[in-house]
Amino acid sequence: MNHLSTADLVEHYYGEGRFGAGAHLSNCAGCARMYAALQSDLNAILNEIKATEPPERDHFYGERVWLSMAAALPRYELKKRSWLRGVTLGRGLSFAAACSLLLAGAFFAGRVWEQRKQPHTASTIAPARQSAPQPKQRVVVVVLGDHLDRSERLLVELKHADAQSTEMIAPLRDEARTLLAANRTFRAEAAQADNPELATALKHLDGLLAELANQPGGLDAEALGKLQREMKSDRLLFEVRVLRSRAPELRARVTQQMSGGSI
Amino acid sequence: MLCMGKNDHATIQAILSGDKEAYGALVVRHSPSLFRVAWRITGNEADAEEVVQEALLRGYRKLATFESRANFGTWIYRIAVRCALDRVSSRTRDEDSRIGEDPEQDEVQVADEAAGPERMLLSGEIGALQELALQDLTITERTAFVLRHLEGCSGEEIALALGIVPNAAKQAVFRAVQKLRRSLAPLRVKA
Repeated sequence: MNHLSTADLVEHYYGEGRFGAGAHLSNCAGCARMYAALQSDLNAILNEIKATEPPERDHFYGERVWLSMAAALPRYELKKRSWLRGVTLGRGLSFAAACSLLLAGAFFAGRVWEQRKQPHTASTIAPARQSAPQPKQRVVVVVLGDHLDRSERLLVELKHADAQSTEMIAPLRDEARTLLAANRTFRAEAAQADNPELATALKHLDGLLAELANQPGGLDAEALGKLQREMKSDRLLFEVRVLRSRAPELRARVTQQMSGGSI
Repeated sequence: MLCMGKNDHATIQAILSGDKEAYGALVVRHSPSLFRVAWRITGNEADAEEVVQEALLRGYRKLATFESRANFGTWIYRIAVRCALDRVSSRTRDEDSRIGEDPEQDEVQVADEAAGPERMLLSGEIGALQELALQDLTITERTAFVLRHLEGCSGEEIALALGIVPNAAKQAVFRAVQKLRRSLAPLRVKA
């Protein structure tokens, strides 16, 4: 076996030397001398360095560290969401399908009801327009309430989102995509129903949802900050909350209309 | 190298399920060992305390990416080593830029040399001189040496902590040993 290099000796010192290094050292006086010198040097160095121990921390050190950082930590909701998301997605799809069916049913019911009122002349078209879409309107109001509810939850999460946690951002984007399609339908409905207040709020919401859903390359800190600022300047969350709080009132009005009461 | 609390995995599951306060147990359990290694790398108490906090914060943010089969202690330890290295690097950069901006700073450093090797040797401050020799190592060499000798890490663990290949970690330790032996040779002769 060749003589051991200094690198071999250092490795041997750490117990990671090449095979047979120990046997060589016991047979080769030259290498053994070099190894003894290395051992002596390292031991001296280490004794001195180890003599300088890190400053002692008391028993409460860990607790102090925890207290100093606890407030800065966001709460994880990821694990809960991971299985809930599947359920939510499934429920969302079923919900969307049910809404489509209800809307279609309401539409056809309205058409049939309108056809039965054929004797009406042109002068009666306006009252007919008020009463015919009522079943549909009621459905729309119910579904709109739910849409606003979900939108509000999304806006609240967006408001408190941390751009560093990509795991928390991705579900927001998915939810925005789901809400975007529904929002456009409601926006069109609101425009048709001549409800400018609702249409304007849904238009604002539409812009934000579109930006959130279609952010190229994901949502980084800058994009998130921009969205949060937009949200704040548009007072969007406030608008959505107001509209949502008025959904039951709107529903009651529609029900009253249906039962023939006055507005 | 590090002890892994039996309940660390259960605690992590609780945290990821929304129990933020559970992280406190991990912080309390691992802060002392993180402080020790941070102090050994930074050589400074205040920096070491900041490194501990930063490492635990980074650890919390990345907790969702933590693999359940891994050892939390080892994982957070590596993060702390990286944080300490970053801190030392930024400190070195700051000092370099200060010297570059203000030529008078050089004079201050020259004045520091009055308390250099000769004077320390004369006053028998061998430990201080060895500490000085340790400071002359590059950050990687110093950290590899500290992890190897003072923290008892294997070559592979050092490589993981420094984000380098095992062979490079071995080389870093070897270079550190060589440099320390060279710088301390005159001292041993005189002693």
